[in-house]
Amino acid sequence: MEKNVQKENYGAKFKTSPYFYIISRIVVYFFIAIIIFPLLYTLSLSLRSPETVYSARFFLIPEEFSFQNYVIAFTYNFHGVTFPRMFLNSVIVVTISVSLIIILSIFSAFSFSHLKFPLKETLFNVMIASVAMPAQVLIIPLFYILLYFGILNSYQALIFAYAGFLIPIGVLILRMFFEQTPKEISEAAIADGASDFQLLMKILLPLAKPAIATCVILLFLDTWNEFVYAMIYLQNPELHTVPVALAKIGTSRYYISIGAYSAAIMITIIPVLTIFAIFQRWFIAGMTVGALKH
Amino acid sequence: MLSKKFQTKTLFYLLPALVIFLFFNIIPSLTSLILSFFEFSGFETNIFRKFVGLKNFIKIYDDKYFWIALQNTFLFVFGAVVIQTAIALMLSIFIFFGNFKNSTLVRSVIFFPCVLAPVSVGLVWKTIFEQDGVLNSILGLDISYLSSVSLAIWLIIIVNTWQWIGYNLVIFYAGLQSLNTELLEAADIDGANWSAKIFSIVIPLLWPTTILNMILNLVGGFRAFDIVYVVTRGGPAHYSEVLASYLYYWSFASGGPGKMGVGSAIAFVIFSFILAIGLLRVIINQRINK
Repeated sequence: MEKNVQKENYGAKFKTSPYFYIISRIVVYFFIAIIIFPLLYTLSLSLRSPETVYSARFFLIPEEFSFQNYVIAFTYNFHGVTFPRMFLNSVIVVTISVSLIIILSIFSAFSFSHLKFPLKETLFNVMIASVAMPAQVLIIPLFYILLYFGILNSYQALIFAYAGFLIPIGVLILRMFFEQTPKEISEAAIADGASDFQLLMKILLPLAKPAIATCVILLFLDTWNEFVYAMIYLQNPELHTVPVALAKIGTSRYYISIGAYSAAIMITIIPVLTIFAIFQRWFIAGMTVGALKH
Repeated sequence: MLSKKFQTKTLFYLLPALVIFLFFNIIPSLTSLILSFFEFSGFETNIFRKFVGLKNFIKIYDDKYFWIALQNTFLFVFGAVVIQTAIALMLSIFIFFGNFKNSTLVRSVIFFPCVLAPVSVGLVWKTIFEQDGVLNSILGLDISYLSSVSLAIWLIIIVNTWQWIGYNLVIFYAGLQSLNTELLEAADIDGANWSAKIFSIVIPLLWPTTILNMILNLVGGFRAFDIVYVVTRGGPAHYSEVLASYLYYWSFASGGPGKMGVGSAIAFVIFSFILAIGLLRVIINQRINK
């Protein structure tokens, strides 16, 4: 941490150049405006009363504030999809698949880091390589596999599809972490007569809490935001997850008012924004961990 | 240390994850290559019934919109690899050396769109691009951006860049934080000005981070689907289609042809590109390590 503080201060030397100081501020604040504007604009649309939806000061400040759009969005039935139901679907799918992936990844990563078996590195390389494969390449064959298993159009379809797709990422991160923990700790535990199950549960796991938290955030975002699998494998409107239902609302743009439509978008953004605001550091670390440690 | 030999109990740790990984990832991946030589659709029970050889590939070869989708994919990848990386590099240098007092907040704000669902992001921007949207109000124009054949794919690229710049920014920033400052301090003593320091010291030293960002964006570029689907749905008339969305159109889209064999042929093409990138990456890594 101290090292970072020192490096951050290095910028002080550029302060002597007023051009750099001014240009950097203009450019950075310009980009911040570009990042924020679309979100504020959607928020603004969602807060306008239906009568004043096309008028606002500086494009952003509503003339008349109203939460009516949120009420409409929450109670509206979009092609059999309702907001409470789609949040419930997403929560079920995400909770079960993230737990499943984490648990299986922990055991599997442990076998990669601490146990011996044939073809270990080959298998691990296949896992790493599979991370680069876009989900779309798998959608057709996976559709038939789920169909043959008889789980298409059920939560299980999505849970297994996510597990198959994301287990390599969990294994990758956790193996790296398990291998970073000092060998002496494992050796001491084994010398004291611990079985490898005890070694994993009592010693490695408590140490791995930060790595597991990172994994949970990464997997949460990947599954919560996932769209292709969710759209194709859960076609029953009652089972739609948040992104799929939202995309459907997007196509019915001309059946609902622009205000209610924007409110629907904001309802999907606000929970993520809240969680992000609280756990910023974890989110940024979680999303970049895979990239930085390659 | 733990037993040096393979023990059966290892399977207890390894197998559950491995079985799911095989059934729901590796087997479908490889099957998608085989399926591109068959003709099948919808809920057929035996998809390997009708072998058609290279017919699916000939079909996409003769298809004008496949080439447009391929071209758009390359444009999209170009946008991600060159434009997005360049903007993120510039921003990271400005934020790092610009001595921003609230640099953590600045980075968090720019990073925030990365955590949103691409579907939400696409819809936010779609509202802005609509003919009665705010972009036309601000510019005082009356253009139907989303139904413009030449503009549509660029709008998608803009939206994608908007969402993912923060991701590259954070990686560049980490690279800057671990930069060796001795050279910069020496340059300060020599009285070098800021542009010389940035262009001849910082950017060359950041080269490995730049390569990493470019590879991440390259692989990410081939994944693009959600934003295309939401913003333009490949339209107008398939002119903003990318490979992944065109695959969806051939295989699953309601009102589409429902020919999954052709979809699989497109998947084969995507697979080949990803494989080529993987090999390229191995070669680059070997060069760097030498």
